[in-house]
This record gives sequence, structure tokens and C-alpha cells, in this order.
Amino acid sequence: MDAILTVEHLQKYYGSRGSVTRAIDDVNLRVEPGEFVGIMGASGSGKTTLLNCISTIDAPTSGRIFVEGRDITTLKSRELSRFRRERLGFVFQDCNLLDTLTAFENIALALTILKTPAGEIEGRVQKTAGLLGIADCLNKYPYQLSGGQRQRTAAARAIITDPALVLADEPTGALDSKSARLLLERFEALNEARGTTILMVTHDAFTASYCRRILFLRDGKSFTELVRGNDSRKAFFGKIIEVVTLLGGACDDVL
Amino acid sequence: MFSKLAVKNVVRSVRDYSVYFITLLFGVCVFYVFNSMESQTVMGYLGGGTSPYVQTILMLIDVISVFVSVVLAFLILYANTFMIRRRKRELGTYLLLGMERGKVSILLFLETLCIGLLALAAGLLLGVFLSQFISVFTAGLFSIHMTEWHFVFSPKAVGKTCLYFGVIFVLVMMFNSLSVSRCRLLDLMQAERSNQDLKLKSVGASVVMFLVGVALLIIAYAMLLQRGLFRVDGLFWLMLGLGSLGTLLFFRSLSGFLLRVCQRNKKLYYRGLNMFILRQFNSKINTTYVSMTVICLMLLLAIGITATSLGLNNTVEGLSSGKSPYDVSVYFWPSEGGAPAELEQWLAAGGFDPEEELEERMVYETAQVEFEPVRYELGGREVPLSSLSALSLSDCNALLALQGLPPLELGEDEYGLLWGTYEADYSLVKALWEDQPTLSVAGTTLTPQPGAETSAIIRTGTSRYESMLILPDQFLEGRPADSVVLVGNYPAGADVQAADARLEEAMHSLVPRDYESGDGGYGYGWDTRLGVYMDTMGSKILVLFIGIYLGIIFLLTSAAVLALQQLSQAADNAGRYRILARLGVEESMRDRSIYVQIFLYFFLPLALAVVHSIVGMTAANAAIAEVGHVDSVSSSVATAAFILVVYGAYFLATCAGSRRIVRGR
Repeated sequence: MDAILTVEHLQKYYGSRGSVTRAIDDVNLRVEPGEFVGIMGASGSGKTTLLNCISTIDAPTSGRIFVEGRDITTLKSRELSRFRRERLGFVFQDCNLLDTLTAFENIALALTILKTPAGEIEGRVQKTAGLLGIADCLNKYPYQLSGGQRQRTAAARAIITDPALVLADEPTGALDSKSARLLLERFEALNEARGTTILMVTHDAFTASYCRRILFLRDGKSFTELVRGNDSRKAFFGKIIEVVTLLGGACDDVL
Repeated sequence: MFSKLAVKNVVRSVRDYSVYFITLLFGVCVFYVFNSMESQTVMGYLGGGTSPYVQTILMLIDVISVFVSVVLAFLILYANTFMIRRRKRELGTYLLLGMERGKVSILLFLETLCIGLLALAAGLLLGVFLSQFISVFTAGLFSIHMTEWHFVFSPKAVGKTCLYFGVIFVLVMMFNSLSVSRCRLLDLMQAERSNQDLKLKSVGASVVMFLVGVALLIIAYAMLLQRGLFRVDGLFWLMLGLGSLGTLLFFRSLSGFLLRVCQRNKKLYYRGLNMFILRQFNSKINTTYVSMTVICLMLLLAIGITATSLGLNNTVEGLSSGKSPYDVSVYFWPSEGGAPAELEQWLAAGGFDPEEELEERMVYETAQVEFEPVRYELGGREVPLSSLSALSLSDCNALLALQGLPPLELGEDEYGLLWGTYEADYSLVKALWEDQPTLSVAGTTLTPQPGAETSAIIRTGTSRYESMLILPDQFLEGRPADSVVLVGNYPAGADVQAADARLEEAMHSLVPRDYESGDGGYGYGWDTRLGVYMDTMGSKILVLFIGIYLGIIFLLTSAAVLALQQLSQAADNAGRYRILARLGVEESMRDRSIYVQIFLYFFLPLALAVVHSIVGMTAANAAIAEVGHVDSVSSSVATAAFILVVYGAYFLATCAGSRRIVRGR
């Protein structure tokens, strides 16, 4: 089976001659369909830059990124927009819902910009909302929702278009632990039930423990990789903590 | 270093805050153009600075300019506040880096100075350029033949513009220093994070509100059309109130109503960004509906004033050409039993010899004739009519011949009618002429001759005269004249102004000392075609210039306020558009959404104002039709073109500015 995402020798440098910051230095990554992959690292390790490059918000300095076999580093601006709305789904830390739209409309927006026939929209929104457990608060505005509900709404918006890849950037960063757990359980369920491929960036070991595989970054390079295999989540969490400790004092924001 | 920073900021301001700059530019330009009126060709033609018309016009422009400069001062302060608010973070950074408040104030001071000088220079340049066009345009409007084109420039207006705007800029500087010295660093740094409160009201209520608003507007329209525009009483104010309240409710509820209607139509609602645009529009309406209402009413004023003054101008022009069939007319009203007037000799004695001065001329007399009373109903009462002024047939035909009109035919015992310009006697004379009774004058019975009727004007002048009977010559012989009139035309190529001056001189001592005036007093007067023309032209220019001046200023103000509001909203919306970009909405689609929103805000007040003014003009026309007819088609076209230019410029500048803000530069 072909990989959903392949990152080859990706480099991203900032700055000019004299003072070059290597945000990403030769990173390779391969994500198979149906995987739930985490990327961990301290702040400044390049994880958000990596995600930005994959999500086509930022352009890499060199290297290639293939999504479903297509090299997205060579796409033009129009094609990039098209690629983003058709093949990718996003969940951000600050959920990024439009505050003037209801939850329902926020989810539906992802479909309307794909020019989905109006008749299909309501059914699909209801179904997706059911999957994420927000069916009963669809008519509320974001400011009337709790943080967890907002983040699940954002998740619903991300998956409703059946994207090849869902990218999540610190999705639990702004949530309390109960809401975070609820969201992650939903992610897990989506991954298992619908086979949604998820790539999640986090610096939180607990959040990362829901992934099936974790890539650790340090100073822009891949440091190590952990695969959960048949471990229980608790055992996996333990391993993650070990690696995080190994990563050293750079990770002083953990625990 | 310091001034370099200021200059850099100014260059950026001109680009980023183009609306602020355009407002300054237009303000200066309009102000100069109208204050440079005295140097316009038209004014020279009216007799220059000494003519009373020109003095009135200039005085009124002076007074209105004070009012206008107050309006512009508020506008510029508003625009400046907007600009400072957008720059709070930047100012905060200066303070954070340790720049003293005083220094920041001076920085802003320098910037305002630069922008002010720049706008002043550019505006004056544009103004001087525009006033050349206006010079040609008005000359054409007043059918003045321009023999040579010459450059119009008024140093006095430049000085005045500099003075007024200088004061405004000083105010702005003071305001800026005040706002820098009062604000707290924390507020400045967090200005962008200041949360905007979102109040989303129920959509259902807005449908009801919309219907009520429309109903109020319809009631106000009906009252206006029914009662006309110029009956100012209690009901008039009620009508105005209903109209304004209706407008307010209309804008308050329009977005909700549109949202509700579109939500019903799923195909439309779930297409592209429609949902987002409508919600966006609806979310802001709480903060914008009041200003939309005010802008709508201001636009209404602008449209109304401009269209009416242009239209009235055409009306006045139409009136004046009919008023002056002869170059000169001199009239004398003898008293009862006085000696016969010898107008020509008197004038010749005063230095204006009609025989030399006038190529064609004639003197005619009118006299009062009595007849057996005829009775007609007037205002619910029978009113007797037993005497009228009369003109002899040969005099009448001679007058008509001077105007190149065909003569009237009248039998021995017949009478005809000459319509006067004095409407008060119309109803009675009209009744007489419809009834066509026989009249018994001095023992002879006269029958009417329906063909012998004319409404030709028989003397030049703005004063009116009554309708007259036209009688065969013998009936007037021996009757004492109640008016003696000399009319005549100058030879082609004569120096009309000099001749008029000689006539005026002669009129000062027209009646000789030895004139026997009989028991009562006498009176005399004179009018020339040029004088009448000047008179109407003076009022024409007055109406036109003042109207357009105010119209432009109101339009400018409303467009600028709208533009600034939209730009500050664009700053709030930048985040939302970033989300859309991440979701994969193409740039063209996002731009379209920005344009549609701005278009709605610009177009809706304009649309309602146009509807208001169409109804208003219809009502005004009904009232003005009594005097003349406002030429609504050409004036509406001129108004529309003019509004499109000013409003359109602001619309485009707002679109470009918003796009830049939303794209994050």
C-alpha cells in the first residue's frame, strides 16, 4: 500500500548568510494510511515548522513532500488552496472557529467551499457531529460552547471532507484534562472506526500516548521513534516519559 | 534619524491609510474650488467684485465655508483617531523601547505636519486644475461665450484654504499629543487583542422589525406624496420622524432579514462563502446600523440638494428667457389728471436719446376701461368685474411685430385678450374668457373674438402686469393713460453695457421739475434685458454653487465615514480570513467576500437614499411645477455621475485598503 505522506530530506532554513537557523535539518517521515502518528519535541525543535510545511502554509528550503504520491512542494498557489481544502483537515490549538457562525455552519463551511451540493450538507454535518458527540450543540455560537466542544467542532470540520490526512497542532493545548481526554478518545475512535489518518504535533506526553507511533524531534533533526505496538496506553506513556527525559534539559516544559 | 522615521511613516501612511489621505485631499480641493469662485470667468461677467450678486454669492460661500470647515474638522479628527488606533501597537513599541512620550508626540506632530503639507499641496494642485474645468463648465452653463481661455487662479483662496486647514491640522496635532500622553503602555501593546464583544440577536425578531420599518417608510412616503414637500406643520415633522425611524429599523433588521430569507434557500445559503458573508454582515450590524442610517440620510441630503439645485437652475433659466423680449423698457405711471408723459423727450434730455440709441422702438399706453359688470364665482362668492386695463389693437400688433410674431385680427365691435404675468387676476379673467360675454363699453356692445388672444410678453422686466383687453383703436382715444411704456432694441453690435449705463444715468432725473402731476403721485421704472439676465443668473449661480458645495461635502463626509468603518472592520476580520485561508479558500474567493461585504455597506445606504430622493423629488416637483418644472432627468444624471465618482473613489480605496489589511500586507 502506498504511503499517504512521505517526507524526504526536508530542510527549512531561516535567516540569511552569516546567521542561518536550521529549523528543520534533513527530516524523513513516512505515514501509512490509517496511522495515528505523533510528533514530539520541545519548543524550538522544529515540530510546528514541519507541520506548517506539510500543511503547505510554509514552503521548505529543500526536500520533498509527497501526499498520496503527489509532490506538494511544486504546487502553485491556486493548486495549494485546492489541495488544502480537498485533501487536508486541520485542528489547531486555538480551534480557529469562525465566531460569527454557529457550530453547524462552521462544520458546513468546509463542505460549501468544496461546492458540495446543498442537499447533502445537513445530513453529513449531523452524521459527523454525532461521531464527535456534539450533535446537541450544533446551533450554538462558538462563544456559547465549552473549550472541548469547540475543539471537537473544529475536529468535525477537519474530518467532514474525508481528507487524506488530518493535521492537528497541539489540539489539547488549551483544554483542561477532562476535555483533552474526551477529544483524544474521539481521535482514537475516528482513527480506528473510519481509518482516518492523523498527524498530531504535541509537546505533552499524555496527549502523545494516544498515538500509535511517535517521532521525536530535537534541534530540527529526528531524534528517535517510538511505536506503541501492543502496549497499553499506560506502558506507552511510560516509554514516552523515558524518551522525553533522554531528550534532556531542553524539555524542561514537560511535567 | 528622527525626521527620517517620521518621513518613512508618512510614506507608509499614504499607502496604508489612503482613505485618510483621500479625505484630506478632497477636503482641501473642494474647499479651494469654492473659495476661488471670485476669480471665475462667470463672476467677471457678472460685474466682478463690485457687483451685488457677486458679493452675495461670495459672502454666502464665506459663511458656508465656516460650517463646512467644522464638518471637515470633525471628519479629519475621526479619520485621525482611526489611524492612531490602528497604530497603537507601533506607538507602544516606541514607548517600550524607551522613547519619551514627548518625543513620540513630536514624532506624531512631524508626521501630521508632513501629511498635512502633502495633502495641502496635492489638494491645492488638484483644486487649481479642477477650477479650470469648472470655469469652462459654468461659462457653458450660463451661455457665456468665452472668447479666450485663461488660467484661473486665486491666491486669496489658497491663503484661506491654508489658514483653515492649518487650524484643523493644529487641532489634530493637539489631539494626537493628548492621546499619546494619556494612554497606558499596556493598553497600547494589547490594543490588538482587545476583545470585540459579539452580540448576536435573535434573527426572528428582525423579520418583524424589518416589516415594521418598511411599513413606516411606506406611510411616510404616502404622506409625502399626498401632502407635498413644502407644507411645514406638525404632520410634516411626524412624517420626517416616521421616515427616519423607518430607515433606522430598516438597517437594524435588514441583515437579519436577509439572513433569514437566504437560510430558507439552502442552495443559495450553502454556496461558497455566502453563509460566511451573510453572518459577517449580520454580526456587525449592531455597531453599524446607526451610522448606516445617518449615512443614508446624509446621502439623501447630498442627492437632494445637488439634484434640486441643478434642476432649479434649469428652471430659472427657462423662466428668464421669456421675461425679456426687448433690450430696454421704461415705464411711467401718471397720476390721475396729470399732464401726458413725454418719455422720449425726457430721456433725451437726460442723455439717453432713444432715437439715436435704439434701432427699433415704440411707445404704447394702456388705459382703464369700464363696462357693465359681469359676475363670476371666485372662492365661493360672486365677484363683479367691471373694469380692466386695455391696449389698442394697433399698439398690440406693433409690439408683436417687434418680437416677430403674427398680428391679431379684430373686427369693429370685437374685443380680444392679452394675458398678463400677474397670476392673481387669472381666475377671474379666465372665467371671463371662458364665458365669452358681450361687454358694453361706452355705449357700444363688443363681442369677443376668440382668435384674438395672446400671451406674448409686452415689456422686459421682472415686475408683473395684469391681463388686458385688446380693443379697436377708437375706444382708447381720449382716455387718460394709466401707464406709458417705451420698449426698444439696441442696434446689433452696440455696447450694451455702456448704453445701459447711460439709460440708468438718464433715469435718475427722468421727470422734469415742471411736470404737472395732478392730484396724486406718479411712478416710473425701467428694466433692461441685461439687467434681468444678470438678476436671474445671479440667483442661478447662487443656488447652483451653494447646492453643489454642500452636496459634495455631505457626500464626502458620508463616504469617508463609511470607508473608515469598513477599514477598521477589516482589521477585526483579518483573523477570520486567516482561518479561511488555512481551510483552503482561494485568494480570489476571499477577495470576493471582502468586496461583497464592503459593497453591501456602501450600496445599501445609497440604494435607500436614492429611493427616498426619488419620492422626495416627485413631491418637490409637484410643488415646483407651479413655478416651473425641475428638469429631473438631466439633473438626476448629472447627480448620479457626480456621486459615482466620489463614492466610487472611496469604495475602491476601501476595497484596496481592506484587502491589504486582511492579507496582512
